[in-house]
Amino acid sequence: MVMNVMLDVDRMAASGVAGQPIVSLRGVAKHFPGVIANQDVDFDLLPGEIHALLGENGAGKSTLMNILTGIYRPDLGEIIIDGKAVTFASPVEAIAAGIGMVHQHFKLVKAFTVAENIHLGWSETPGRISKALLEARTAEIAASLNLAVKPGARVSDLSTGEQQRVEILRVLSRKARVLILDEPTAVLTPAEASELFKALRQFAARGNAVIFISHKLDEVLEISDRVTVLRGGRKVATRPTSECDKRGLARLMVGQEVVLSNMRERKPGAKPISDAPVLSLRNVSARDDLGNMCLKNVTLDLRAGEILGIAGVAGNGQKELSQVLTGVRRAASGEIRVCGKDLSSRGAEEFAAFGIGHIPEDRLHSGLAPALSITDNVVIREYGKAPLSQGWVYRPSAAAALARSIAEAASVSVPDFRMPVRNLSGGNQQRLVARREMRIASNLLVAAYPSRGLDVGAINAMMGYFTELRDAGVGVLFVSEELEELFKLSDRIAVMFHGEVMGVVDSSEVDIETIGLMMGGQRRLEAGSAEGIS
Amino acid sequence: MSIRIQRVPSENVAGGIAARLIAILLALLVAAIVFAISGADLGKLGSHVFKSTFGSRFGLMDLGLIVTPLILTGLAVTVAMKVGAWNIGAEGQFCAGAIAATAVALFVPGPTIVVLPLMFVAGAVGGMLWILIPTLARAYADVSELITTLLLNFVGALFIYYLATGPWLDPSGLSFAATKRLPHDVPSFWGDVHWGLPIAVLLTISLAGVLNYTRWGYEVRIAGSNPAAARYAAIPFRRHLIVVMLMSGAIAGLAGMFEVIGTTHRLQGGISNNFGYIGIMVAVLARGSAIGVIAGAALMAVILKSGIALQTQGVNISTVLALTGLILFFTAIGDELSHYRIVRSKPA
Ligand SMILES: Nc1ncnc2c1ncn2[C@@H]1O[C@H](COP(=O)(O)OP(=O)(O)OP(=O)(O)O)[C@@H](O)[C@H]1O
Ligand SMILES: [Mg+2]
Repeated sequence: MVMNVMLDVDRMAASGVAGQPIVSLRGVAKHFPGVIANQDVDFDLLPGEIHALLGENGAGKSTLMNILTGIYRPDLGEIIIDGKAVTFASPVEAIAAGIGMVHQHFKLVKAFTVAENIHLGWSETPGRISKALLEARTAEIAASLNLAVKPGARVSDLSTGEQQRVEILRVLSRKARVLILDEPTAVLTPAEASELFKALRQFAARGNAVIFISHKLDEVLEISDRVTVLRGGRKVATRPTSECDKRGLARLMVGQEVVLSNMRERKPGAKPISDAPVLSLRNVSARDDLGNMCLKNVTLDLRAGEILGIAGVAGNGQKELSQVLTGVRRAASGEIRVCGKDLSSRGAEEFAAFGIGHIPEDRLHSGLAPALSITDNVVIREYGKAPLSQGWVYRPSAAAALARSIAEAASVSVPDFRMPVRNLSGGNQQRLVARREMRIASNLLVAAYPSRGLDVGAINAMMGYFTELRDAGVGVLFVSEELEELFKLSDRIAVMFHGEVMGVVDSSEVDIETIGLMMGGQRRLEAGSAEGIS
Repeated sequence: MSIRIQRVPSENVAGGIAARLIAILLALLVAAIVFAISGADLGKLGSHVFKSTFGSRFGLMDLGLIVTPLILTGLAVTVAMKVGAWNIGAEGQFCAGAIAATAVALFVPGPTIVVLPLMFVAGAVGGMLWILIPTLARAYADVSELITTLLLNFVGALFIYYLATGPWLDPSGLSFAATKRLPHDVPSFWGDVHWGLPIAVLLTISLAGVLNYTRWGYEVRIAGSNPAAARYAAIPFRRHLIVVMLMSGAIAGLAGMFEVIGTTHRLQGGISNNFGYIGIMVAVLARGSAIGVIAGAALMAVILKSGIALQTQGVNISTVLALTGLILFFTAIGDELSHYRIVRSKPA
């Protein structure tokens, strides 16, 4: 281990990015019951660099950062800041040492304004405060750090990207020199992401450092200076980004070659695309939570055995569309038919009874009960059916058996099914939800951003499952903002903009540029696909 | 080989029992030391406390009488917690149940065998009515049940004072804040201990069964833990909230009914004895487990009875309260410790 350390330092000196690391981790280990989350991890963070941290779901990335920020204590190993070994008893001590983190799930107080959130729990908050003073201070800090925020706005009214900026400002205002971002772009639009990258580069250029966790390899190649890869809790490599490519990184993470195949091809024996649609929408409109029209006259058909991609910048009505299609949100007007039956004014119960699976956009808030056991969460779609229930009797042992088989099919290793589901890594939660929903999707699967938070291997596996569903004659509605993913999988792509469908195109006959234009609001009228748009 | 202590998310049962027993012994030890320092005769105090709890027939009977309402109020709070609601108002529902049962006893003529079931139903319905408004306010207007149930406690207690000193006052003139001796009793099965105790235990066990082994119980669990997930899975959150909160009120109402018909035999001011509030403690000790309610109620009953015994020996009330706090504190630590285990691992 000592040898390793020396080698690492040597290599750094050789590659010319010398200087004392701001942060060094040496031999860090963290075990949870039945899980090795981290083992023997050495890690150096140099001033001025953006350092990407990669790894499969459950590889231990979040845990390692939680150790660095004082949320967990390492079982073994040490944390060295500016050459001195330290121990953090809490995140407050970590931030005092200049290390701040923006988490996978935000921790802002929604009912407070931006200025109040920035000043909450901060020793430099003035003793006598007024609203105006707080907002003025916030505006000043924001200006000095080049981050545009609205000090007086309530956090619940902000977009995800804006909320994230507030989180970052909160960390930076405490004079952080190290900013840790856990999957920051999973919830951002491309425009928001590129703004974030600009801010990160400026921050690093001032001699600070960034640790950046992401599953999006393109992004990692674009933004980072060096990359560290974890696998099964151990570090497998640290390399300058200039020496990396996508395939190599994927191989390092997974431990074997990741084959990206064209998934539009059907297996021999696959059911053909049906003539009658499993799902048809006619002039469907709906309002969002604030009462604004977020879906306007949407007309779409999805046939059995077909994958229909929904493209568009996030926040253009996709979330509400998937909710309307699963009965979680009522349509304000229009007609929704599933297998020919009118379900326009029905609730989630009837939709589920029609064999419609739903992978929701915000899995932690609506797809799971985070405090309940893994078993309870995994059986939420089938608790009422045999063998889990007979009449009104519920059988926990049958539930446990089903949970085990779903976890196995989703390749999630679970040490204890009675453990609260929130203890699983973000990606593993997503895998369980996806698997659970695919089981009940006998007619239709509505998948909203299913690959968010998944590693490359898992995305590939999941898309493979989608094609299996398709070949078995299920209609799949696949919402995504990654065009590459959409093209690889979808037979047709519908593009949404401001709650309207800009057109539906055949993915073999269209190029990425055309889709890009449509995402920007350019309408494409094609015979048969857009007749309902007025 | 390294040895570490690790927190595990699920409790290990044997260790849990051991940890709690040790905690109680430790608390007793600390108490003994405090008494010894202040010069009390430890032997005498100890034997008195023992005699008035486990050490005598009367002590055991008293425990049986105290534990009955505590099981029920603790169960009421626990059941509401299952659906994500805080029923701070078991005290008020207790009063309402007692009032309703008394009304039946006073004004419905007939043999005990007929009136008794009526009183039972009246107690449950009384408690239910008392929680009805907080329930509807929470279900339809999202008004916090914490405040509304709490406020109704004072209304309930004062209403009993009004009835017991006014319209329902004992006409014989022998008491000034109680009704006359009620004409019907819940039958006893051992000395003074009435059938309320086995019924409370049975109710707790069957509710635990219902919550764990029925579809309905599963739905309540999901709805209570995350209403958004319930909506997503087409589980009717609002319906479960209403039904479970009403059940909670009914159970607390039964506690009041048994107290008045089985134990005090009159409706009198202060009859609720803080049983509703102590029920919250019982529920917290039970950590959401319906079976744990029985153990928690038993512990609280022993603590309460020992406190009374100490007071009769001239120990002042604040010392008794401090001791109660101490025991609860140690039990809470024991509780937490039962979630830890020692792991031996080879360094990798
Ligand atoms: N509090 C906890 N209790 C028990 N196990 C935990 C806890 N936190 C994390 N784990 C486990 O530790 C392992 C590493 O989890 P971690 O969250 O660090 O993964 P990750 O690399 O961030 O994955 P993802 O990309 O999916 O977010 C997982 O197997 C997870 O289930
Ligand atoms: Mg993570």
